[in-house]
Amino acid sequence: MTPAQRPKRPFGLGTYLLMLVGLAVVGAVLGGGGALLGDRPGLFGLVLSFIPIAITMVIVGFVSIWWWRGIDEAAREAHKWAWWWGGSGGMALGAVVLITLTARDDVMTPASLGLSAADLVVGGMMTILLFQLAGYTIAWAAWWLKRR
Amino acid sequence: MNNRLKVLRAERNWSQADLAERLGVSRQTVNALETGRYDPSLPLAFRIAGVFEQPIEAIFIAE
Repeated sequence: MTPAQRPKRPFGLGTYLLMLVGLAVVGAVLGGGGALLGDRPGLFGLVLSFIPIAITMVIVGFVSIWWWRGIDEAAREAHKWAWWWGGSGGMALGAVVLITLTARDDVMTPASLGLSAADLVVGGMMTILLFQLAGYTIAWAAWWLKRR
Repeated sequence: MNNRLKVLRAERNWSQADLAERLGVSRQTVNALETGRYDPSLPLAFRIAGVFEQPIEAIFIAE
């Protein structure tokens, strides 16, 4: 088989680590910029906060497309399975925890925690996201471990 | 679904990495295919048949 006939090799661990480092640098630069610039009051500060976050998400989106096109079909299947079962399972578990806590006024109120309502909304959103990511990671690892 | 990938590969003295390179997939994917724990898509099944120069039904056996 000549080199020209060989199919493209899928991305490996090296490319994955490089992508993670690259995205971490992008996130640090744009996140830091957003924190510095967005400190200004009013609409101007809001716009300066929005722009770096939006740019970060666009970059992450394009990198994700590039990554998806570079992995093989089994790797894609692992991600799809992990997204559905791990992500959904994690979200369900997180929802049980959050709904239980928020249903009881004596456990979690903005006043008792010293937080605003907006803080609690963002906190709840991030908690669910963390549960989803944890479930995703566990399911993804389980998919590959089962097929070793 | 069972398959004869491991036998066909051994007959050619190819490693899993060799076969993976020929198919354009990762070595882990070849391993998952060989153990019968991952069924390939139709395009990949055709690529496998092409690499081994055998019809698909001679490589994959329905359980």
